Amino acid sequence: MASPIKTLKAKKFLPMLKARQARFSAAPADLPAGTDSSRIIAKALHPRAQYLKVAAVTKRADDCCSYTLVPDPARGTTALAYFGAGKYLTVFETIGGMPVTRAYSISSSPKDALDGKYELTIKRVDGGLVSQYILDNWKEGTEVTVSAPAGNFEYQPLRDAETVVCLAGGSGITPFLSMANAIADGDEDFKMILLYGSRNKDSILFFDELDALTKKTDKVRVVHVLSDADAASALPGAEQGFLTAALIQKYAPKDKPYSVFLCGPQQMYAFLDKELEKLELERKYIRHEMFGEFHNPQTQDDYPSDVPATVQITVTIQDETKTVTGRSCDSVMQTLEKNGIAVPARCRSGECGFCHSHLLRGKVYVPKQLEYRRLADAQFGCIHPCCSFPLTDLVLQVPAAK
Amino acid sequence: MVKQLKQYDVIVIGAGNGGLAAAATCAKAGLSTLLLERHNIPGGSASSFVRGRFEFEPSLHELSGIGTPEEPGMVEEMFNRLGAEVDWCKHESTFRLIVPAKEDDTDAFVNENGVRVSVDARMPVGFEAFSRKLDELVPGSYESAMKAFDLAEKMYKAFDALGDGDNMGGIFKALKYMPDVMRMVSHTLQEGLDALGMPKKAQDIFNTYWCYMGVPASKFDFCYYMAMLHGYIKNGTGIPKLRSHEMSLAIDKVIRDNGGDIWYNSEVTKIITKDGKPAGVVVNGSKEVYGKRFICNASPNFVWNDLFDKKDIPQKQLQMTNARDVAVSLTTVYLGMNRTKEELGITDYSVFIAPTSDSDKQYAACHDFFSGYCIINCLNEIIPDCTPKGTSQLFLTTMTFGDVMRDIRPQDYKKFKTKVAKDMIETCEKALNISIMPYIEEIEIALPPTFSRYLNTPHGTPYGYMLNMWDSMIPRTVQFIGDQPFENFLFCGASQERGDGYGCAYHTGEKAAKLTIKALKEGK
Repeated sequence: MASPIKTLKAKKFLPMLKARQARFSAAPADLPAGTDSSRIIAKALHPRAQYLKVAAVTKRADDCCSYTLVPDPARGTTALAYFGAGKYLTVFETIGGMPVTRAYSISSSPKDALDGKYELTIKRVDGGLVSQYILDNWKEGTEVTVSAPAGNFEYQPLRDAETVVCLAGGSGITPFLSMANAIADGDEDFKMILLYGSRNKDSILFFDELDALTKKTDKVRVVHVLSDADAASALPGAEQGFLTAALIQKYAPKDKPYSVFLCGPQQMYAFLDKELEKLELERKYIRHEMFGEFHNPQTQDDYPSDVPATVQITVTIQDETKTVTGRSCDSVMQTLEKNGIAVPARCRSGECGFCHSHLLRGKVYVPKQLEYRRLADAQFGCIHPCCSFPLTDLVLQVPAAK
Repeated sequence: MVKQLKQYDVIVIGAGNGGLAAAATCAKAGLSTLLLERHNIPGGSASSFVRGRFEFEPSLHELSGIGTPEEPGMVEEMFNRLGAEVDWCKHESTFRLIVPAKEDDTDAFVNENGVRVSVDARMPVGFEAFSRKLDELVPGSYESAMKAFDLAEKMYKAFDALGDGDNMGGIFKALKYMPDVMRMVSHTLQEGLDALGMPKKAQDIFNTYWCYMGVPASKFDFCYYMAMLHGYIKNGTGIPKLRSHEMSLAIDKVIRDNGGDIWYNSEVTKIITKDGKPAGVVVNGSKEVYGKRFICNASPNFVWNDLFDKKDIPQKQLQMTNARDVAVSLTTVYLGMNRTKEELGITDYSVFIAPTSDSDKQYAACHDFFSGYCIINCLNEIIPDCTPKGTSQLFLTTMTFGDVMRDIRPQDYKKFKTKVAKDMIETCEKALNISIMPYIEEIEIALPPTFSRYLNTPHGTPYGYMLNMWDSMIPRTVQFIGDQPFENFLFCGASQERGDGYGCAYHTGEKAAKLTIKALKEGK
């Protein structure tokens, strides 16, 4: 018996070819649609850069200012990218001919972005080149270039508990202020218990704003934790001392799971990570904001011995190659920047992978806290220069800092 | 800085799978090669991303091109040809299709998960085993399935005849002696299976992989579906051990090792033309680079709109782009779980959950944001240690036409994403009678705008243009040369003759490279 496939006609094939070309010939020769609703959303949320201007400077403390940033249409930005509370902006600056970047959490409400306003709050860091520069130089009218909002330090209702104990230290309050505002605006829906560590009442950032938020919504509760001797006695409701496991237990719900979010200086993470172990929370309920720039790798237990103090780094970006000398205690990224070479950078904490580069020769040290590389990266010699410290002379290829 | 000015033999635009294969093939042949990529890593869809202690696979479900030592698959062969080393993990089953029962389905039964279902088909590898299983599920379907697989073998062999696109006369001649292939390409999958006498219920199970190409049974040409199915069913499939980032970096290494240049974060913002054809590119709006020949992995929609002056675009290219249908797009939810797959009760790598087993109805429902059609994959089934001890990773996929985004404002997007993810997770929980939500440690949600951001295709579609009957694979292949825009500028990737899929994109890249090498040899 003949195969049943023979009932299908093969002769249809040649006319198909003619029909295909005829279909093309009959179509209009206009440009096809250049965009679509998906691309519009992608571009609105992830512009390559945002060109802004400082519209106002608000002094928050002796060493801390908030900067209201608005679009700078003259340089091509007419609207701000909306963001989820907790995200950061990477600021691009050139200081003394040195291209640098820093990531700062947005302290304003997502809603404000729709009205054309972001607020960044910047506190002077001891020896901090960029914070110092911004506090000294940014004033009303200063042109500022930032990245699209980025980062993963956000509330996610499918993952996080309904109650979040937020642990803030110093200027680590900024993402939580944004989240608290988003809760009050109805853009986020969770119960926030904010334990905010400061030295004394006067060093609390956003005291009035936080107070107003707790009056606006019963979903936000703020407890100030003051470390200077007797500081809490000056502030009713404040706790004396440091953020600890015991304090978390005192304020966290007893009868249901809760999440813990942390944002503050690196020493705070080191201390609180040990404290949190006592609470035996599931790992999914603990989330850290990014670590921040890593310094002094030589203090780490697993840092090798006999590392030369200075190394040569030969870097190729597109068709340009340059050899520079740097210190082994500086990250590859810092050394390149100090030599006037712009490197693509966003988080500077190893996490975002934006600086992903190829190490062709040499060895680097990567602190384990910042090891977020993909598995295949290690195998194929790829590194994140922002958290890689040279152990030998290096030869590497770095993507363009567009 | 030391400047090295030169004109490249070939400039490859985009380091997606097609661009990577093209650049590696050119570099290996000794051409001076520049690969330009606007992102900071290679691969396009073939990549990975890290969240917390999980590294997620963004797009790859399984590679049909990984065979056996005796019969290596097409992808494996290409990696071997290039000398790109990847640790492949074999997968020895195919898919499980579950159609939860509607109230009024009197034939429904309760499956091993304790769920009342209309269909529960867990299909094995191997033509014979697959056909037997199909017959068990739908009595009377064995013979038609075996006949279909016999045609699949014929079609698979026809791939050799379709060759590298440099000999159209040869292709025609070869096809003349393959009447069954001609019959298949002229008819839809549904017409073909009807002719073989396959019962409709069996056809629906048989057609489960339609979504890998994004074309339902009434629009998909019979031969291409069978060729694809051949790759999955005959010898099983495979995936790279370290997510698809491993594959992309392995090819990246081949390009470098063979003297090719790769510039990341380097977006082509304009194509420079001279005497009516491409002569160079502008990178990141400022740097000009010149080349003799070009291979383009970017979507034609983007290329014509953003890179060329309209006067320089051949009219036919605009007409082609306008005549074709942009294929469906995707939504994917990536989940890092703080439980093992055993603790979660997951028993299969790939489960297709669908409110109906009819591919055309599934396709039509892609105009809704989420219709209940969801594929759930658990990577630990193939790579047990792909996540830390005590954890696992899942990814959930549904197909969505990008235009469902039209009423979503940027400020509503995050909430919308969460809602879609919740619906998809709950659908899987219900269909498998398992609990997922309490154990989510990491979650990332990708909608068409996410894919648009990374792939720069219309609505973020990874599928290119729909492989409709009138624009199906063999006609595209036969007419390949005439469909290319310039003598020195060839497209590759999902927009081209084989549509989407890693193996398809690699093939088009390699083919474009071979044509380029040949043209340069001939002094063109």
